[in-house]
Amino acid sequence: MAHITGTVKKRKAMPETLQRKSYELVITGQVQGVGFRPFIYRTAKKYHLKGWVKNCSGEVITLVQGDEHQFESFKQAILNQHPPLAIPFIHSIKLVKEELFDRFVIKKSATSEQAQRHIPPDFFTCNDCLDEISNPQERRYRYPFINCTQCGPRYTIIKDLPYDRPNTSLSSFPLCHSCNKEYTNTVDRRFHAQPLACAECGPELSFIQLNDIKAETNIIGNEAALLKAIDALKHGKIIAVKGVGGYHLICDATNEQAVRELRKRKHRPDKPLAVMFSASGYNELEQLNHYCHSDKSNTLSLEKKRVSSPQRPIILINAKKGLLAPSINPGLNEVGVMLAYSPLHYLILKDFGLPIVATSGNLSGEPVLTDNQQAEQRLNNIADGFLQHNRPILRPADDTVIRIIHGKQRLFRIGRGFAPLELNLPFNLKKPVLAVGGQMKNTVALAWDNRVVISPHIGELDSKRSTKVFAQVIDDLCHLYRVSPKQVICDAHPGYYSSHFAENYSNEHNIPLVKVQHHKAHAGIVYGDFFLKESTFQDKKAWLVFTWDGTGLGDDQTIWGGEGFYGQAGHWQRVTSVKPFYLQGGDKAAKEPWRSACALLWENKIIGNEEQNSQHFSNEYLPEKESYSLAFHAWKNRINTIESSSMGRIFDAASALLGLGKTSSFEGRGPMLLETKCQNYFSDKSQANISQLNIDLSALPLYKKNELIISDWSELLTLLMGDKHSVEKKAFQFHIKIAETLIAQAQKIKSIKGDFRIGLSGGVFQNKFLSEYILKRLEEENFDAFLPEQVPYNDAGLAFGQIFEGHFQEEKA
Amino acid sequence: MSNENEPKEQYISLAHGNGGRYMRELIDNLFAQYLANPFLNTQNDAVTLTLEQPEIAFTTDGFTVNPLEFPGGTIGSLAIHGTVNDLAVAGATPKYLSLNAFIEEGMPFEQLERIVKSMAKAADEAGVFIVTGDTKVVPKGEGAGVFFATSGIGIKKTGLKLGMEQIKTGDKILVSGTLGDHGTAVMLAREQFGLKGDLQSDAASVFPLTHSILSLDGLRFMRDPTRGGLASVCNEISRVIKKEVHLYQTEIPIHEQVDSVCEILGYDPLYLACEGRVVAIVSEDNSQQALEIWRSLDAGQDARIIGEIREGNANVVLETELGGERFLEELEDDPLPRIC
Repeated sequence: MAHITGTVKKRKAMPETLQRKSYELVITGQVQGVGFRPFIYRTAKKYHLKGWVKNCSGEVITLVQGDEHQFESFKQAILNQHPPLAIPFIHSIKLVKEELFDRFVIKKSATSEQAQRHIPPDFFTCNDCLDEISNPQERRYRYPFINCTQCGPRYTIIKDLPYDRPNTSLSSFPLCHSCNKEYTNTVDRRFHAQPLACAECGPELSFIQLNDIKAETNIIGNEAALLKAIDALKHGKIIAVKGVGGYHLICDATNEQAVRELRKRKHRPDKPLAVMFSASGYNELEQLNHYCHSDKSNTLSLEKKRVSSPQRPIILINAKKGLLAPSINPGLNEVGVMLAYSPLHYLILKDFGLPIVATSGNLSGEPVLTDNQQAEQRLNNIADGFLQHNRPILRPADDTVIRIIHGKQRLFRIGRGFAPLELNLPFNLKKPVLAVGGQMKNTVALAWDNRVVISPHIGELDSKRSTKVFAQVIDDLCHLYRVSPKQVICDAHPGYYSSHFAENYSNEHNIPLVKVQHHKAHAGIVYGDFFLKESTFQDKKAWLVFTWDGTGLGDDQTIWGGEGFYGQAGHWQRVTSVKPFYLQGGDKAAKEPWRSACALLWENKIIGNEEQNSQHFSNEYLPEKESYSLAFHAWKNRINTIESSSMGRIFDAASALLGLGKTSSFEGRGPMLLETKCQNYFSDKSQANISQLNIDLSALPLYKKNELIISDWSELLTLLMGDKHSVEKKAFQFHIKIAETLIAQAQKIKSIKGDFRIGLSGGVFQNKFLSEYILKRLEEENFDAFLPEQVPYNDAGLAFGQIFEGHFQEEKA
Repeated sequence: MSNENEPKEQYISLAHGNGGRYMRELIDNLFAQYLANPFLNTQNDAVTLTLEQPEIAFTTDGFTVNPLEFPGGTIGSLAIHGTVNDLAVAGATPKYLSLNAFIEEGMPFEQLERIVKSMAKAADEAGVFIVTGDTKVVPKGEGAGVFFATSGIGIKKTGLKLGMEQIKTGDKILVSGTLGDHGTAVMLAREQFGLKGDLQSDAASVFPLTHSILSLDGLRFMRDPTRGGLASVCNEISRVIKKEVHLYQTEIPIHEQVDSVCEILGYDPLYLACEGRVVAIVSEDNSQQALEIWRSLDAGQDARIIGEIREGNANVVLETELGGERFLEELEDDPLPRIC
């Protein structure tokens, strides 16, 4: 939807004789790289207006001459009939005195430092292009790099603004005669389609085949390369494919052996893999529907709707049992699915005929690979072949990940199609700010005036490549948007790479450094996301934001993660928490749920002395006797042991106590398995009312200490270790208890503080069952509750939260 | 600790530090007796030495450790090895040491004797003489048993150029043996984990190792990775030379038990102290030769080439088994968990 943000200036009375008036419009928003100028051109022609249109570093300026009626129709068309990828805002309209034109023209782009600059994200392949690619009569029949003004790559190919071909990575592909005709023909849908290409003049595929002894055969040519790649897929091989924002590793998603081999080679034993389905034009969900549940519930139709949107994100959706290879999502019901998003993927899926696993081509935690040579080198031990092209990817954009929770999309990872995520702030910043986010799932945010831009997913900042990409993305954003930060914000954790970087950045650029506590930044995400839709910022209402995640350094130098904050951004007061426990093993605790389980058991002296210990050694959740005893002594002597109130670790503990794994290959696996068990219990009884399930609906006991309302997890241990119920029922009961505890904490705070709005933020709320149950219960209890929709509320949103929290902390000071 | 019923002379008392008979007896019967050598004369205020080389190396160090005795050494042997090793990695031949002892009132005489004996043995093995010394007794509660301070003089071949400024891109990084043994052994002994195993501190003189490769033209720099371990030495190097220190994880020798203890406790052995290992930076040309020389020595059997100096930002990069490149960051005051 478009909005008029500017005002129409009062018009002076004009002499009757001058029927043609000259209006100058400045149009901002997503208007570059989406076929906006040709649209203006066509619209002006339609209403017989004269004048010109031009790009001006991120905005479009148009001068139109005609009468008031014509102009009004033209304005309405801009707002209501714009190209699907455009998001125009009419920033200003003014009447100007201008000589009369005899036609309408598209003028050359102008550069301006002050203008509102917008970088479009990368889009899918539109239906018009898919029609062409499938039609043997067309010039671009089966051409893997087909695109037009309505589709194709953007962010990953843009060197600089204005968005013109010389400023893209296609600058090294001069247009052939036919393409140039389309490019310059104002009525063609490829008029000024900057990544325009055809087999004659554009990028080309190649295929490197590695045999058993890693000797190479290099095949060049679109059809020949594709043929080889498809053949390899059919033989259960693993192929590295260069896409739009980086490489994927692909294999047959129905071939269990191939998927296992991919897992083995990538050293990724059980983290779920994404699956790509074909998007065959007008019946694009046909293949997906065959493999995934398609019942008629509203949520599911929303999932299907989002999966086919032009951004082509990965959506978590329930898969039918027994169709896809079981190793794709071991232990889980949901699978991450996406539709073919580029012409190359479209051709692969079409020729192969079966869905493919499409997981990021990288080493675990690093940003997706983008460079041919680097990929060939780093994926050498994983891939049997490389299907790649010679169009450079200027910066990585990994796939976006979305889960539908409580009827709305929740972004878990922003990347291709979404990033850079440009949003408007409900206030004006005094100076430009760079926020560098956290350590895990890192993104950065750049904010100036009333704008904020969030980078795509960068990854875990513990590898050389991640930190290189991190620094490059910061440079790129500053350059593309022509912003030089006058303040830098980081997390209060001194050990994050991003914090070290921010400190150096502050010194080098001689600008102030602000540190924002982890969970206050999480609260900032809620606050910021909520007020994004407000054009002015007027909020007197207090908030209670629950920030539940795994680890963040608290103001008291202990590890927080089960906290609730009352107040408003910049003025948070910590009011709720979890009974603290001591966690041994540093960063290892996040990947070894047994440590969390033991932490709770030791804290409550349920196990500890030798005699009790030996009774428990047979249990699945404890390590070998010798290791256990060492860890216990270390815990007792507080060696590498820290106080924690993390809700994430309580979920870890529960998963370990239910035998869902002592250790896990990635953080969060325990809680994911736990949620699946809980969902399985619940779906068995889908129609049953929870009150009929003989479930304990009481919250955990709360106690007050130092003005904090603290929940005591002790009785969870009895529940989880008891042998009365099935694992599924215990998992379900655990979720209900935790959810009811949040409700009870909210009610307790309400009795002290009065009315407030509730926000939820942090990785724990990625749990769909938990969040939906909590939101439903909060509604029943007449609370006004909010879970972020436009910005990730896990650590990927920290940078955005830091901008908000940093701003309000400064206001307060 | 102190027990009123025990005879007084079984424990160190403040009288042992008052300059009188008790003190003389402590020095004569303990320090002078075990540490005896031709240069040590407790009657003189200063010792006169003649050095056979014009260029000398001179260093000093203080020693505290808990517990005072641990598998593979005591604070006494540590006080010798620490200073000897500082001289050795500077390319010097350690010769003469001074010794200061700060003993806490109530320290069992017998334990002190064991410590001084191990000190004497370490000095003997390292071929150094303790030529001057002093003892003080501090009141109970003001010391942790005993502290030592040693200073040392070593002689150096003229013109020997060793230092971080000599390091060049492409140079190789060698270690003489397994890493983190000392740190782990001391920690296990201190916390009384009651773990069975044969893990010993690596505490030893590194002089045989350093001396063996001194003649190599391509030898640039040596350091013994004590506090903060290999990671801290590498961080210091990268910071000073402003290049990347690149390590291969699979090549770094770690004792199996150190690995499993660290795995459980959540420590990284690359940050744990060694007291008898050398990190050497050697030109690529000389690196294989250096490795062979070390491997032919008892103390260098586990020696490995573990990395190289690369152009790039001043970072320490650990290349993992899977080809990932992880940073080994500078040691934080107290590492806090970061993973969410």
